[in-house]
Amino acid sequence: MEVYEVFRRAGHKEPFEHCGAVIAPDSDMALLMAKECFLRRREGNHIWVARRSDIHSFEDESLLEIAADKSYRFAEAYRGVVDKREKARRRAQEIASS
Amino acid sequence: MTYEEKLARFTDKVNGGDKVETTDWMPDDYRNGVLKFIEMHANSEIMGALPERECLPAAPSLKRKMSLCAKIQDEVGHAQLLYRVAEDLGKSRDAMYYDLVTGKSKFHNVFHYPVKHWGDVAIIGWLIDGAALVTQAALLDSSYAPYTRVLKRICAEEQLHLRHGEDITLELASGTDAQREMFQEALGRWWLAIIHFFGPRSNVDKDLLLRWKVKTRTNEDLRQEFLDRYVPKVLELGFQFPTPVPFHDEATGHWLINEDDIDWGPLDAIKKNQGPETARRLSTRLEMYEGHRWVREAMAEPSIAAA
Repeated sequence: MEVYEVFRRAGHKEPFEHCGAVIAPDSDMALLMAKECFLRRREGNHIWVARRSDIHSFEDESLLEIAADKSYRFAEAYRGVVDKREKARRRAQEIASS
Repeated sequence: MTYEEKLARFTDKVNGGDKVETTDWMPDDYRNGVLKFIEMHANSEIMGALPERECLPAAPSLKRKMSLCAKIQDEVGHAQLLYRVAEDLGKSRDAMYYDLVTGKSKFHNVFHYPVKHWGDVAIIGWLIDGAALVTQAALLDSSYAPYTRVLKRICAEEQLHLRHGEDITLELASGTDAQREMFQEALGRWWLAIIHFFGPRSNVDKDLLLRWKVKTRTNEDLRQEFLDRYVPKVLELGFQFPTPVPFHDEATGHWLINEDDIDWGPLDAIKKNQGPETARRLSTRLEMYEGHRWVREAMAEPSIAAA
């Protein structure tokens, strides 16, 4: 018996998402168990199972932290648009009236 | 890193509201506490299927029978999800099932009681599932993340069970005198057990699960939320509560019960697995465990590709 991780797609426009795990002797039985456990109410239109031992991940989660300040990758870095637009408008008027 | 350093780091993490994953380092008493807690939850789901199963022949129509069947299947499904999460903490499903059927581990108090008629289905589906939903919703923010992920699904289904139970209750409540009496009689039998369901007052200093934020709220806090939510709904339908009778406290706006009125004797017996139906229900589970052994064994064999 092995642990299989279960992934489910809620609709054609959605990505597959992890939704749980089942224990089974092979992938056929894992799919059957996954269907009974996670698709009793049309929660999705497709399901995947993968052996837990076939899934790879970082052992140390801290490696996933962003090493330096990369705030420019986030929308928060571009705030104050109203003020900035106002400033630009004033500058444009300045040019027009000179 | 020394054990003390690891422990200090873990404590800071949990106190800061961070979540714990199966693969993270955790102190043994956290692992054992969470395992025992989830195991009991799983046991309760699978044992909870039995009282309702006993009510199936009393279903008043085919539709009611089918919807109750589906609900029972959901409860067993919840047990499957929970046992899976518990297994990852280091105890096999077989060991958990064995401890359950041999009376070594525990399941919730309400499933140690007999059922008598269809009114019990209304009480179980509405008030007991309502009580369970209050406690389970509070666990959605538990520090053990894999538990919260399965609880999300469980709570969504419990929400549906609640509507199912309320629907049956409202049908009885708007029916004949005999139908109303079914609900009233069942309420009289179940009320104390429902109050017990939340447990005695929590000992905040001693409760390891509260300290590690596995549980997020005290027993009395959850019981209070249940009383405030359900007592007015029951009274509105014209039913009466037995002891401990809830009363409205004008000053706080809460529905209270006099804690001195609670007889904890029956709960103490159940904690020793000596409830009125404990032995019979466990022997039913044991019979199924033995009778279904061949199914488990057949399913454990990898399938052979057809020639």
